Amino acid sequence: MESTFRILKRFISATVIISIFLLIFNFILLGVWVFKGMNAGHSPNDVVQNVAKSLRISPNASYSLDFSTSELLRQHHAWAMLVDGTGHIAWNYMLPHELTKTYSLADVAKFTRNYLMDYPVFVWEHAEGLVVVGYPKGSLAKYQHILPTSWVSSSPLRIASLLIGNIALAVLLSLFIGSKLIRSIRPLTQGIQGLAEDIEVYVEPKGVLANLAQSVNSASALLRQRNASLKSRDEARSNWIAGISHDIRTPLSIVLGYSSNLEESSDIPVQKRQQAGIIRQQAEKLGSLVSDLNLVSMLEYEMQPLDKKPIRLSALVRQAASDFLNNGLDEHFILDVEINDENAQVSGDERLLMRSITNLILNSINHNPDGCHILLQTFYNEGSKTCSFVVIDDGKGVSQNELPDLLELPFSSKRKRPRHNGHGLGLPMVARIAKAHKGHLLLSSDIGKGLRAEIVLPSIKVE
Amino acid sequence: MDDIKNKKLLIIDDEFELRNMINGFLRKEGFTSIFQASNCAEALEVIKSVKPDIAILDVMLPDGDGFSLLSALRQFSNMPVLFLSARGEDEDRLLGLGLGADDYIVKPFLPRELILRLTAILRRVYSTPKQEQRPVFQLKERIIDLEGGIVRNGSTEYPLTAKEHALLFKLYENRNRIVTSDALCQAAWGDDYYGYENTLMVHIRRIREKIEDNPSSPEYLLTIRGLGYKLMVKEV
Repeated sequence: MESTFRILKRFISATVIISIFLLIFNFILLGVWVFKGMNAGHSPNDVVQNVAKSLRISPNASYSLDFSTSELLRQHHAWAMLVDGTGHIAWNYMLPHELTKTYSLADVAKFTRNYLMDYPVFVWEHAEGLVVVGYPKGSLAKYQHILPTSWVSSSPLRIASLLIGNIALAVLLSLFIGSKLIRSIRPLTQGIQGLAEDIEVYVEPKGVLANLAQSVNSASALLRQRNASLKSRDEARSNWIAGISHDIRTPLSIVLGYSSNLEESSDIPVQKRQQAGIIRQQAEKLGSLVSDLNLVSMLEYEMQPLDKKPIRLSALVRQAASDFLNNGLDEHFILDVEINDENAQVSGDERLLMRSITNLILNSINHNPDGCHILLQTFYNEGSKTCSFVVIDDGKGVSQNELPDLLELPFSSKRKRPRHNGHGLGLPMVARIAKAHKGHLLLSSDIGKGLRAEIVLPSIKVE
Repeated sequence: MDDIKNKKLLIIDDEFELRNMINGFLRKEGFTSIFQASNCAEALEVIKSVKPDIAILDVMLPDGDGFSLLSALRQFSNMPVLFLSARGEDEDRLLGLGLGADDYIVKPFLPRELILRLTAILRRVYSTPKQEQRPVFQLKERIIDLEGGIVRNGSTEYPLTAKEHALLFKLYENRNRIVTSDALCQAAWGDDYYGYENTLMVHIRRIREKIEDNPSSPEYLLTIRGLGYKLMVKEV
């Protein structure tokens, strides 16, 4: 909606600027054109003035015209005469025959304003009388412009109001045309916006933009089809893994059942019982691998439903630390908690977030069998409105170029090196849990410098 | 207690080996009348003829699923049912428990856990109802009586306030384990407990005054820095 308004605004201002430019351009052109037309060669006024100036009276009472002025008259096929105070022609130049007569005051007044026997004539005063220059019949149009003074003095205002009126007209017209255009574009812009937001769109193909509408429709259909096929493929993969992990559970139950039974039975030798115990432990490992694999695949294909609720990270971190301590953490490991913001809150799935903290702590424990110091921290970042929990150990760490590998699935083609130990699902799972919560996992480490894992999540802190 | 072992059990699972294994463990545990069914139809038949006292039910069965079998069963019987399923997703567990199952165990499982949960259900359903008692325990010469809400030291008695009682009960339930301050606050003040940390410290101090010889250097109710508290109780 806002974008169509913006388009309309742009359109109107462009139209107004174009109109003003056209107006000014036309005025200038008109001015130049008229001025040029009036001054083609020499204007009649120039000619008559020239004649009056250069007509000299010699001591012997004869008149003479210099050569250049007579040449000027000849060029214009004009004639000239000097009418003296009595109305007689004192001097002439190429005067047509029908004009050789005396002129009364009334005649002079008439031809001064209009024509002399259809000859367009122009007059100028001379010391001896009135110089009259006549042009061939029909060669010039004589008009008198008589304007009231008030009209002339108000002309700037009139020009300004003309300009304003023109601008207003341009605005109204462009508004009309623009809104018509917008009305035909609006379904298209809405359609394209819908495409960007991945909503199914249909634009009625009509008007001049029918082709575009059809393109939008087919793009939408194509997107929908792609999404559906992607989704069905993801679903197939995820279901396949879920199916396998389901089918493994029953045989695994039997292995686990009998092995733990053998482990507990007192009528077989201790050594055999220990072997049964190893079978039981391995079966339990398989069990956790299978359920981890299932969870990771669900997260990977975004098919894990999140049971979201507000969770305070500090409470979660304390619970995780307490669980580890209560379950008999090996004394090689020291676990500390540092809460930097007590009320940092996220909206999340408690089980999954707990799982990610547990995975990070287990990661530090599993990769540092000689023990290490593990520090759990929580932070709130005012600027980005995020909070994070951090698990830091001072163990042996990993080299920097191996870090990106840790987030890839164990047998992914993106993984450059084979995994070292563990089933390799722990950290990828944490990364995917963070992603499912619209957050991310940051790892930093180097050989001998321990590992720092930070899960950054969008905060919902209300206070 | 022994009458529990005489209860009639029904195992419904399509996997013969698994039924056989559970059967073996249950017999070893002392149960004598155990019936088996490999599908829904068979199960309904056995239920109608034998009227078992409890059923262990798989979800995926060849001729239907355990959820619909349970719904059908609930039309005419209230017998306790324990799900034993390979389907471990939250929805499945919630669905099963929502339909009125008494417990839900996800495969793979440890036989010991199955037997413990099974006997727990049987005891709950079939034992003569016993008044549930709040614990009474001893810290050296002091007797903490959560039933009466009193701490006795020789002839002197210190009554416990409601909050102190709730906190002490929570601590006792998790005795010798760390209980986070969040969990304690929640136990005493409910879900919107946030902001009660300082109040919690005051209450802990008062509890110490009642149960410790020297409240300033506690012997039983320990502070676990940064996490919470831990009640040390020697089991008698």
